[in-house]
Amino acid sequence: MSTTAASTACPAPGLDALDDPDLLASYTQWQTPAGGARIAVSQLQLTGMHCAACASIIESTLTAQAGVLSAQVNAAAERLQLRWDPARTRISTLVQAIAGAGYGAAPDAAAPAREQRERERRQALWRLFVAAFLMMQVMMLATPIYVADPGDMSADLHQLLLWGSWVLSLPVMLFSAGPFFSSAWRQLRAGHLGMDVPVSLGLLVTFVASTGATFDPGGLFAHEVYFDSLTMFVSFLLAGRFLELRARHRVAQSLEQAMSRLPDRVERLEPDGSSSQVSPQRLRAGDLVRVFAGQAFPADGRLEQGATEADEALLSGESLPVPKRVGDELVAGSMNLHAPVLLRVLRVGADTRYEGIVQLMRSALTQRPRELRMADRIAGPFLWGVLLLAGLAALAWYFVAPERAIWVAVSVLIVTCPCALSLAGPSAWLAAAGALARRGILLGRLEALETLARVDMVVLDKTGTLTEDRLVLAGSWPARPDATLLAQAAALAHHSRHPMALALAAAHPVDEAAKAQWQQVQELPGRGLQARDAQGRQWRLGSLDWLGADPALLPEAQLAFGSEDAEGGVSLMLAFDEQLRPDAAGAMQALRAQGLQTLLLSGDLPARVERVARQAGVQAARGGVSPEGKLAAVAELQAQGRCVLMVGDGINDAPVLARADASLAMGQGALVAKAQADGIVLSTRLGDVVLARELALRTRRVIRQNLGWAAAYNAACIPLALLGYLPPWAAGIGMAASSLFVILNALRLSQELGKT
Amino acid sequence: MEILYLLIPLSVVLVLLIVGVFGWAINNGQLDDLEREGGRILEDETAVVDGDQARSPQQP
Repeated sequence: MSTTAASTACPAPGLDALDDPDLLASYTQWQTPAGGARIAVSQLQLTGMHCAACASIIESTLTAQAGVLSAQVNAAAERLQLRWDPARTRISTLVQAIAGAGYGAAPDAAAPAREQRERERRQALWRLFVAAFLMMQVMMLATPIYVADPGDMSADLHQLLLWGSWVLSLPVMLFSAGPFFSSAWRQLRAGHLGMDVPVSLGLLVTFVASTGATFDPGGLFAHEVYFDSLTMFVSFLLAGRFLELRARHRVAQSLEQAMSRLPDRVERLEPDGSSSQVSPQRLRAGDLVRVFAGQAFPADGRLEQGATEADEALLSGESLPVPKRVGDELVAGSMNLHAPVLLRVLRVGADTRYEGIVQLMRSALTQRPRELRMADRIAGPFLWGVLLLAGLAALAWYFVAPERAIWVAVSVLIVTCPCALSLAGPSAWLAAAGALARRGILLGRLEALETLARVDMVVLDKTGTLTEDRLVLAGSWPARPDATLLAQAAALAHHSRHPMALALAAAHPVDEAAKAQWQQVQELPGRGLQARDAQGRQWRLGSLDWLGADPALLPEAQLAFGSEDAEGGVSLMLAFDEQLRPDAAGAMQALRAQGLQTLLLSGDLPARVERVARQAGVQAARGGVSPEGKLAAVAELQAQGRCVLMVGDGINDAPVLARADASLAMGQGALVAKAQADGIVLSTRLGDVVLARELALRTRRVIRQNLGWAAAYNAACIPLALLGYLPPWAAGIGMAASSLFVILNALRLSQELGKT
Repeated sequence: MEILYLLIPLSVVLVLLIVGVFGWAINNGQLDDLEREGGRILEDETAVVDGDQARSPQQP
């Protein structure tokens, strides 16, 4: 577990920080019992627990401390609730005591939200249990009525069974179905009809009709009871809602986990060599921070000193450690796994990728997809249609057989209760979004799944999308350069962050000593680097023009290296190229196999764009396109009736991403937060774009199946009910089967992706 | 078959009773931590009376 490492491996950077009132307030509640002193109730997250017995060790350790009123450990959740007297002890002392017993404890600021969720979950589970358990009992009482031959059962006994069913259905109606009724009431009062209104109406009518039949068998409602269908109905609806709730909570939980990854305190190294403990909020770009093994990086930045491995599962969904060397980018919220390192802060707060991800998850959590809203929109007409139908049926039957008129109207209302209909959309969307999130594709708008299924054209950006956003060394002049010369150039390149310098440095790693041989290093923007070697000779690494190199020797050369004092001036010329993502060709082929056209739009030189397109297998390519040109090209495609999916790197392409029908951004762009895309491929695998599109197609299919099933069921049953031919058991089985079918069908979408 | 007239109401009452008990258990946190409570009986007896008055929470 990652948090285990967090509190054991890091040498407790300032336990005193725990006593900081600001920090304390985030995980502590203050209570003032009548006539007593103030008591603090703190929530702590424990680590290092192996079994239930550890709980008692921690509890007894703490209760032996002065000032501790009570300590309660929840072994399953690894959480501690600590009541203590602030006048007699300090929280840092207590945490120290826990550490002395061999365990770790960290503030648990998310406790209130989690408790709230826990209450919600418990309540939902409890409602579901009541409905499901009573449903079984009602079935038990209903079975004899179904199987008994006429005359087998005395009228009294029959009546008794009905009464029993009624009593058992009462809690289901009054308690379990409560949320439907209260929500329907709210919707009615707001004048905005949602699906809960027809659902509640159906439930209410069914119950009233069955109650009438139970207590007044010869009366208005004839003698059919539907208690079994009713309770089953409520159970299925509640089960659906419970699944929805769990999915929502799981997202909230992963959000919380992500949030809690940022450390509470970090060690900042001041320019004068001293160090201080500050909270991550106080960090500014340019600060130097020491990050211990097991700690999370507090901000986006660059590795300044040391080498380690980072767990970037937050970004890619894969917890493979990523090796990090000096100069590599580090992402806030990812874990430092191996060794203490120095981090130079580049971005803080809302600009970090981490913050962008948190934002995205939040918005996905609160937004309702259009198809869900559509279900709510059709709820009104649906309700009126059903009422009209029932009214007409009653009127018609009034002339044929007046005693059956009300019964028919009621049965129409019962069979049209839109249970399956209201489950069709939500279950499928949530299952699909969950599967995508586990794969490292975050959807900001769930609607993107719908448009993704409609696209027939994929427009790709080159740099950062089809290719990796770094360069590789592709060629040199002379073709076999002198190794010491190349090492010298690479050592100089280590002093710059220019993409070409980075590529050169990556191709030839050098040690600190080699780096230090260069003195008076100067970086001249637009030209290159200038420095003196150990012998005091002036060298230059930069553009061909600056060094006066002859481009004829190597036409595609972009970088030259040489000394003014040496003969000939230029001793080395280098060419760089972009590297195609490893899965680019496969992904393009898969997109073509799905019947999509692919187009590469780039601002780069046409010849280079053509070459990359050929390598990757993109069908068409256009180079030298300005951002405005890209926008115009996409608009033109849309005017031709195309539905365009844009895949870009998020920042430069923002307007195009916003313009396209659906858009995905590769998650390596620094400012994910500002991306205008519908979704972000955090894993930066192009293959995941294909997977997302596949899943979108499957989701659409499943929703259509679900809606089709619900419609077919209604279409078949309504005429029967209108004609007065629908026996109650058939209606019950139909209802149950349709709900069950819809939920199980949707759950197929949540299977793990990429197992094809 | 007369016994059914007794058994059916009885079963209905019993079911409601079971639901009630289960509801109490869920809402009282009885099912929150199933492992910990079982181990409590094996722990050492803690002092029932706090003899050390200095440790009283009432005192500031």
